[in-house]
Amino acid sequence: MKIGSVDVRISILPIAAFIVFTSGFIIAAFFGPPEMADDVRKSLIWIIPALFLLLIIPAILNYMSRSQYADLEPEYEMKAKTVRVRLINESMIGKIVRIVGVVEQARYQFINRPQFTVADRSGSISVKMFTTPADDVKVNDIVEVYGQVIRRYIVTGEPVINCVIIRKTEQNG
Amino acid sequence: MTDNNPSPEKTIFPFAEALVPVLAFGGTLAGVALHNAGILFEIQYAAIGGLFASCLLAYLAWTRLHKDIVALSTPIYGIIFFVTPIEYTAGVVLQLVYAAGLTILAARLRYRFGPGIAGGSSTKELPPGPLRDYVESSGGAFEGLFSVIGHDAALAFFRFSEGEYQAAAELAHAASCRSGTPEHVVRAFSVIRQHAELLDKNLPRPLTYLTFLPADAPVMAKPLPGPGDPDHEFGTMMDNALLLLFSAAWHASPEDRPSLLSLQQFARKLLEA
Repeated sequence: MKIGSVDVRISILPIAAFIVFTSGFIIAAFFGPPEMADDVRKSLIWIIPALFLLLIIPAILNYMSRSQYADLEPEYEMKAKTVRVRLINESMIGKIVRIVGVVEQARYQFINRPQFTVADRSGSISVKMFTTPADDVKVNDIVEVYGQVIRRYIVTGEPVINCVIIRKTEQNG
Repeated sequence: MTDNNPSPEKTIFPFAEALVPVLAFGGTLAGVALHNAGILFEIQYAAIGGLFASCLLAYLAWTRLHKDIVALSTPIYGIIFFVTPIEYTAGVVLQLVYAAGLTILAARLRYRFGPGIAGGSSTKELPPGPLRDYVESSGGAFEGLFSVIGHDAALAFFRFSEGEYQAAAELAHAASCRSGTPEHVVRAFSVIRQHAELLDKNLPRPLTYLTFLPADAPVMAKPLPGPGDPDHEFGTMMDNALLLLFSAAWHASPEDRPSLLSLQQFARKLLEA
């Protein structure tokens, strides 16, 4: 679903919640005990909007975060310094970097908080994102990543990249 | 720094990990005994052992280079178990399960997050390991090295680690021209300058590149690879040059040691890669 220039994606989790609750209400309204079915039918005026809010609120949040990230993209593209993964260390915390590598792992995409492991010839690093990437990134994709070096747990942990852009450059095979 | 005079932390650390299950299980068992003797009326207070054990575990986790967020958060549960009234049987079961969990976490900390760092982040010495071994073994090569050259080496290492490659190249060039710099240190500065310039412009490995001499082998942290894999050799040259500068700075410029210690993880990564 595209709003303006932003491609809004709802993660599988709110969709699953929507399906589960909608199914529950349908079963209660049509196949439940008569008293319960009556109550549910009388309440449809607020149940239906509430059910759609399960989809609308995540969509709005995703739109907001995607548009914020889109605003940051030019700044990151301008400021980023291309580095080798192995040379990323604690003293680079806060620096904006660009790395190019292959996606070895892609996790937590179903909750719109993807975490990738990106490796170049020198090593691998965790790349965290707090929204959906514009590209549909999968394992074995060759990507360029723009982001800021942060600690994994904000104040402690090893350096990881807080990703603003992850973009496919080509694909293996 | 010598092994003949171990720091107190080195002798306490192995016992500290074993102390976690002792405190956790011991607290509950002592609580049960006191309860049966009619001294302790509320079994929740037997969780004091688990609370101390969790605090110890969190401290041990904090001293690791890689922090274990699970171990760090265990005192929260220890406090909850200590302050929340609970029925006798449920309390004992809960505390024993918690003690078992702390024991597993202590073992996990030991085997997954490595041995503790002597003195934690406040230490003034390199912790035992390959990096300290290298720095100690290469010390002779930097005897009589001027402190100003050691400081140059530290600055070049710092700028390089920060990703300030242009500044690192300029510093390395200036240092390599300084009179009195030993030949092997000059070569390290030159290698760093070449790598920093290439990294700054994001250029690939050139066909010909600077290398150390076979005579430099005794001060190399990593063995030089044989011919046939130029990419590996090129990378090893950079690692060796950076580690040589780290060691030179450590020996010749003691005032830079706190900053070097803060970058020991990067140096260790270079050494172990």
